[in-house]
Amino acid sequence: MSSRLQAEHLYKVFGRRPEKAVEQLREGSDREALRADGTTAAVIDASFTVEPGQTFVVMGLSGSGKSTLLRMLNGLLEPTAGQVLFDGQDLTALSDRELREVRSKKISMVFQHFALFPHRSVLENAAYGLEVQGVPRAERETRATDALAMCGLAGWEKSWPDELSGGMQQRVGLARALATDADLLLMDESFSALDPLIRRDMQDQLIELQKKLKKTIVFITHDLNEAMRLGDRIAVMRDGAIVQIGTAEDILVRPASDYVASFTKDVDRSRVLTADAVMDTNLRGDEADCGCETARPDSSFVDLCAISARVPHSVAVLDKTQKLVGVVPRQRLIGFLGDEQGEPRPCDAPRDKVVKAVKTGA
Amino acid sequence: MPRIPFGDWVNDTVDWLLSNMAWLFDFFKTVFEGTYDGINAVLQAPEPLLLAGIFAVIAFWLRGTSAGVLTFLGFAFIDSLELWENAMVTLSLVLVATIIALAIAVPVGIWAARSDRVSNLVRPVLDFMQTLPAMIYLIPAILFFGTGAPAGIVATMIFALAPGVRMTELGIRQVDKELVEAADAFGTTPGNTLLRIQLPLALPTVMAGVNQVIMLGLSMAAIAGMVGAGGLGGDVNEALGQLNVGLGSEAGVAIVILAIYLDRMTSSLGTQVSPLGRRSLARLRAAQGLKIWSYRPRPAVAMIGVVVLALVAGGMGVFGGTNSETTAAGSSNVGQGKKITIGYIPWDEGVASTFLWKEILEERGYQVEAKQLEAGPMYTSLAAGDIDFQTDAWLPTTHEQYWKKYGKKLEDLGSWYGPTSLELSVPSYMKGIDSLEDLKGKASEFGGKITGIESSAGMMGLLKDKVLGEYGLEKEYKVVDSSTPAMLAELKRAYAKKEPIVVTLWSPHWAYNDYKLTKLKDPKGAWGKGDDVHTVSRKGFAADNPVVGQWLKNFKMTEKQLTSLEAEINKAGDGKQPQAVKAWLKSNPGVVDKLAPVENSTGGDLAEAKRPVDVAFFPWDENVAVTYLWKNVLARRGYTLNLKQMDVGPVYTGLSTGDIDVNFDAWLPYAQANYWDKYKKNLRDLGTWYRPTSLELAVPSYVKDVKSLADLKGKADTFGGKIIGIEPGTGEMNLLKKDVLPGYGLDKEYEVVDGSTPAMLAELKRAYAKKEPIIAVLWSPHWAYSEYELTKLSDEKKLFGEGNTIRTITNKAFPGQYPQLTKWIKNFKMSEEELGTLEAEIKDRGQGNEEEAVEAWLKEHPDMVSRMTP
Repeated sequence: MSSRLQAEHLYKVFGRRPEKAVEQLREGSDREALRADGTTAAVIDASFTVEPGQTFVVMGLSGSGKSTLLRMLNGLLEPTAGQVLFDGQDLTALSDRELREVRSKKISMVFQHFALFPHRSVLENAAYGLEVQGVPRAERETRATDALAMCGLAGWEKSWPDELSGGMQQRVGLARALATDADLLLMDESFSALDPLIRRDMQDQLIELQKKLKKTIVFITHDLNEAMRLGDRIAVMRDGAIVQIGTAEDILVRPASDYVASFTKDVDRSRVLTADAVMDTNLRGDEADCGCETARPDSSFVDLCAISARVPHSVAVLDKTQKLVGVVPRQRLIGFLGDEQGEPRPCDAPRDKVVKAVKTGA
Repeated sequence: MPRIPFGDWVNDTVDWLLSNMAWLFDFFKTVFEGTYDGINAVLQAPEPLLLAGIFAVIAFWLRGTSAGVLTFLGFAFIDSLELWENAMVTLSLVLVATIIALAIAVPVGIWAARSDRVSNLVRPVLDFMQTLPAMIYLIPAILFFGTGAPAGIVATMIFALAPGVRMTELGIRQVDKELVEAADAFGTTPGNTLLRIQLPLALPTVMAGVNQVIMLGLSMAAIAGMVGAGGLGGDVNEALGQLNVGLGSEAGVAIVILAIYLDRMTSSLGTQVSPLGRRSLARLRAAQGLKIWSYRPRPAVAMIGVVVLALVAGGMGVFGGTNSETTAAGSSNVGQGKKITIGYIPWDEGVASTFLWKEILEERGYQVEAKQLEAGPMYTSLAAGDIDFQTDAWLPTTHEQYWKKYGKKLEDLGSWYGPTSLELSVPSYMKGIDSLEDLKGKASEFGGKITGIESSAGMMGLLKDKVLGEYGLEKEYKVVDSSTPAMLAELKRAYAKKEPIVVTLWSPHWAYNDYKLTKLKDPKGAWGKGDDVHTVSRKGFAADNPVVGQWLKNFKMTEKQLTSLEAEINKAGDGKQPQAVKAWLKSNPGVVDKLAPVENSTGGDLAEAKRPVDVAFFPWDENVAVTYLWKNVLARRGYTLNLKQMDVGPVYTGLSTGDIDVNFDAWLPYAQANYWDKYKKNLRDLGTWYRPTSLELAVPSYVKDVKSLADLKGKADTFGGKIIGIEPGTGEMNLLKKDVLPGYGLDKEYEVVDGSTPAMLAELKRAYAKKEPIIAVLWSPHWAYSEYELTKLSDEKKLFGEGNTIRTITNKAFPGQYPQLTKWIKNFKMSEEELGTLEAEIKDRGQGNEEEAVEAWLKEHPDMVSRMTP
């Protein structure tokens, strides 16, 4: 049902003679050199693919070009160069009218500051996309009510946007985007304006909804924790260019550059890492032969720690077919948590022996 | 720094627009007038108190009980001031101007909001419209749209447009960009984004703009009164003109009531129509609960109230409208409902004579509208043909500049009252000051000030340039420019405190009735001969309405009649002029029949006489004389001659296009050769009626040793280096400057002073009286030669040309259309003695009395009629 989104060598340059600037960028000029001419390269050579049903997160600091990139995906901004392929269609080749048609039916968007229409009720807001499509009133009200209920706002239809809290307003924004049954959901820093607790709620809600609806989602954020929670794949942007694309673990465990690494420093690794990333795949083969508790590849780091505390040896990781895929020694857990994956150095005054001696002596 | 002829460009543009885009302006005029008439008819139809009730219900709905009650009281107050009709006129004017302004402003504002380029382009235009003094486009508005409502609407609209555009643009630009982006992201078309998102959210700001448009429009409506838009503005103008603080404040308060009502209603409407405003109101109401004074009915209830009242009002209008006035019937119904528009300046004699004629003409079956205007707009609209005639032209001095500018497009129907006088006056408690000479040395007593009127007024120029100098007062006194109302206010203030004051005044003036004033005598005659009050009509009025034209030409009033009529009108008060005139007519029986005699038809004895003859004449003495002579003689044979005074160029142009039939003053073959050559294909020469003529410079005979042009050499000091000329651009002046002066080597020594024929003659008279040396540009025949002893300077080199004769020229079709007349004209001759005496007779009787002069002269020359029309 969902469709594949593909971006190919997207460039967006603001200012005079943008085509020439793209030419210069292709030849290797950098952003600073262009800025001297008064042109701003917002997005430079961005290419990625989002598979149907995937959540693709674009992460970067403000000014890194992520919002510009997002707006090229639904044609709000026209790329200076490159193509956007969605559902087999090249969006950059469409006329304004065709593009509006695509936007009203196939792509919807959720905004950072909700962008609810203050002169329309909650229901009218949720039904807006359907109204644009020309859906008859009765049908669009049913569908909008359903979408609101899905987002946990049943019973609020008659209220006005300014009577709702921030989180509820964004639920209306989400319901408005979902009501049109668009395949592609573009979310522009949609949870950034919310307080941390509500933000978590909303993230959970999105994850729940996504399990049911399996939309293709492109999510923009500057918060790596959020990116790691939501993203099946993550693109990290810096100065208009994508510096790394990969899963949360790729980013965390195998950062492509110091820049990405410096980003991941503050990440709560225990919440991101799973057994899959931590386990040692160098196996003897008999690690699971005992009756002890085992872990699955998607067991979280926290769960792993708990199991490790309960079993006397390394934790065995079994896949769905109960086949041994790796082991996690306790040492390895501690190493990942501290981002230190080397072997422990020997101690010059081994206290363990002394303690053991004392114990045996006693 | 080169002179950039900006003013000329504007003039050229205006002329071009007038001649080429007239259809467009006519279209707009029709639209404006139609809308205005419609709205005005609706507002005027119901009983005042019923309409006040409708307004009150609207206020009740929009703002609550107390607003409703106050509205009713306010409008009832206007009604009790007897200003209802005018208030509704003003209201319609403002409404129409607002509707049209919004129809322009909102789209332009939207456009400007969507395009920065348009915004940048529009902004200076708006600044221009808002800051350009209103008078500057008020007068052109008359040229394009005529007087009355359309011109007022245009001026109001131009003034009020800017806030509408600005606020619309601001409102749309203020709408959150993210909302517009959201609409875009859901695939909304730009048009729908505007309609569903931007406009609803911009509505409160747009409505604030609407409110501003209405307020500015209302403030402008007062000024629009100056161009005859009428309404409360007219009342304010009239009150200012009469220094009637009472009426002024009544009209002012009525304007304020209208303003407050419109302001409150539009701002409430602003919250009512915008969805956000409605919501906040609803919330407020829910919080407050029900209160009597702020209770507001539901829209449906209000609508029902308005509809019920409107139905009652409409019904009364239909059933009450049957008692129409009785119209003149029978033979006295000369007008048969024909419309005549009279303009008047709010000066007492103007008001009196205008309403007298309104009454008379209405009795004769005409539909007469009297419009009050300022002098400038009055002449403009006369020239434009919007007003048929006015009875308050002070000529030749006071309104000289208007006459100069528009005289070509006007017809002087003669003076009906005179002479008037211009003077300086002091209160009678200033003992020992009786004449201008007495002012000398008394400057300290008067603070060295003479309180004047508008600096543009003819009498102010005369005072500053001539009168003060004549009496040696120019060093001592400063003339303070102000305005007539200000001067009168100053006089009133000083008079109340018995303070010394000198003011510029004129007779007749009501100030002489209200205060005891001494007119300062003018033993040297510096003020010149007094003006006469003339009736002036648009060009062609007398031709279109020969009967009325004749009545007006014969119109005369004595001082006793005029003052008693003025007194009657003053006693009755403003708005009751018709009643006052009726009362006056009752006590002066027979006036109507005397002023507007109803005759049995005056059938001409010749078929060609049925067709009026358009005669153009130059304001030159021989032409005036011969033209009026023909008019008189031909009238005896049943012809009607429409006289039009014009300049040489226009006369030739008019003849060639057939607009004009004949001119009796063609100086050919030399003086007017350039015109003749240009148009001769379409002209016919009916032969010479006078010879010989000559152009020349003349000096008084007391200037010895100057007999010829050559003698002038080296005498520049004697004459102050000046030659007193006539209208620049005339053939003689061009000849003088281009050929004659250089030919005698005088161009370095002498400067030719451009002026006008009357000014040259006045200057000649002045110099002659003082026996000062003077050189004047003259021509023969001219009455000046019989009046003064002058030496024509001989022109040995024949540079002025010679052998001009005065001929009659006509358009191409004339000989075919008027065979009899053509024959008469071809045989027509006049001797130097005949022409000279006729000119002198006309001059002695003064301008406006040409016809009497001709009549008198014909008595002296009894054979003339049969000679001319055997």
